[in-house]
Amino acid sequence: MRCEQARQLFDAYLDGELSGALATELGAHRVKCPECRRALALMEVSGHIVASDRDPVVLHGQFADRLLACTDRKPIRSWDRLRRGLYIAGPLAAAAVVALAVLGVFDRPVRFAGKRVEGQPRPDVSSPEHSAEAPATGRSLDEHLLEEWLKETQENLAAKRDSGESLQRHFELTISQMLDILKQARVASDGTDHVPGADGQVPASPPEPAPADDEDVEDL
Amino acid sequence: MARGIERETAVTPSREYEKQLVGRALADDRLALRKLVELHKDRLFSFIWRMARNHHDAEEICQEAFLKAFASLDTFSSEYRFSTWLFTIGYRVCLNHLRRKRALTGELDFTALPHERHGALPASIESEEAGRLKELVWSAVDRLSAPQRATLVLFYRHELSCHEMAQVLELPVATVKSHLHRARHRLRELLESVTEHELQEFRNRAGAAG
Repeated sequence: MRCEQARQLFDAYLDGELSGALATELGAHRVKCPECRRALALMEVSGHIVASDRDPVVLHGQFADRLLACTDRKPIRSWDRLRRGLYIAGPLAAAAVVALAVLGVFDRPVRFAGKRVEGQPRPDVSSPEHSAEAPATGRSLDEHLLEEWLKETQENLAAKRDSGESLQRHFELTISQMLDILKQARVASDGTDHVPGADGQVPASPPEPAPADDEDVEDL
Repeated sequence: MARGIERETAVTPSREYEKQLVGRALADDRLALRKLVELHKDRLFSFIWRMARNHHDAEEICQEAFLKAFASLDTFSSEYRFSTWLFTIGYRVCLNHLRRKRALTGELDFTALPHERHGALPASIESEEAGRLKELVWSAVDRLSAPQRATLVLFYRHELSCHEMAQVLELPVATVKSHLHRARHRLRELLESVTEHELQEFRNRAGAAG
């Protein structure tokens, strides 16, 4: 075995991963090669010192007491759990509130599990009478509630759409009423029913004044 | 070679016992918390002190590592050993500490620190040559990079396998092996000044000590 080959085996030998035959070869080379012997000895001795040398310092005797006192002062685990929970739950809750507001859920009282007249107390969904309703439909209570909620949301959306349309109609009506008022005012002032721009046409030139009586002209 | 060396502090609790202690600690059992600290504090401190090379810093890092571990005890997976998990946290805290220190003081030179003298044997038993060799070896260890020093200490001193070291250092096994091999070769280069007589003397003493 050459020195080059032997040095490639040093790490495997020191890791304890060298097979028997190769370990024997390396041992034989080590006996006859002073350089490789010294290199391997230096690595072995340094490993031995790192492994067995006693620590010149020890941990303070009261370390455990001080550490546990720190955990007493700070309820770390519960606070950390709460903080981690808030990191996740906070944004989710905010997003849910925004989504519900957009859907108009807050416009009217939410009625879970059946229609409810405003002012009446909300039915207790956990009561046995109520829980008996759901199995009659063959669905679980959760599905029943979800279906009610979906229906409610759809109704809210339809109501919003209707209210939007009625608002638009109201505006159109108001504008046409204003136009009528303007036309009447114009008629009353100059005897014509033409309002510039009201019919979308280019305003006509002012009408010729009505011919005056000869007597009136002479008076002027 | 050094793998078989029994460590005086290596009283390793069984995995089942560790699991029980963690379960009890999660249920706010103060005694279980104390037991976890007592079982692991010396080994963790030994490792951290070898990395930080300052008693006060090492204690602070240990404390922070334990507090972090207790704060996230509910995320501990029993597929790992508690000690491996704790060492991972400790190593991470230690690296952050070293980075902060480097940012404040520039490149760290551990060999320039007035740290405590090493010594496995009382002065009366240890020869002058052996004592000098130890000083040389530890100064050389101090000049290694943090991952190289960590692999060397974990492999020889704490007898961790490459797989366990990979878990602690959060590195691939191949990278860990590479760090360990580079550390050994760097030590050999740094110890070129060691004489044959010193080497022989140390080996004789170590052999006599058993």
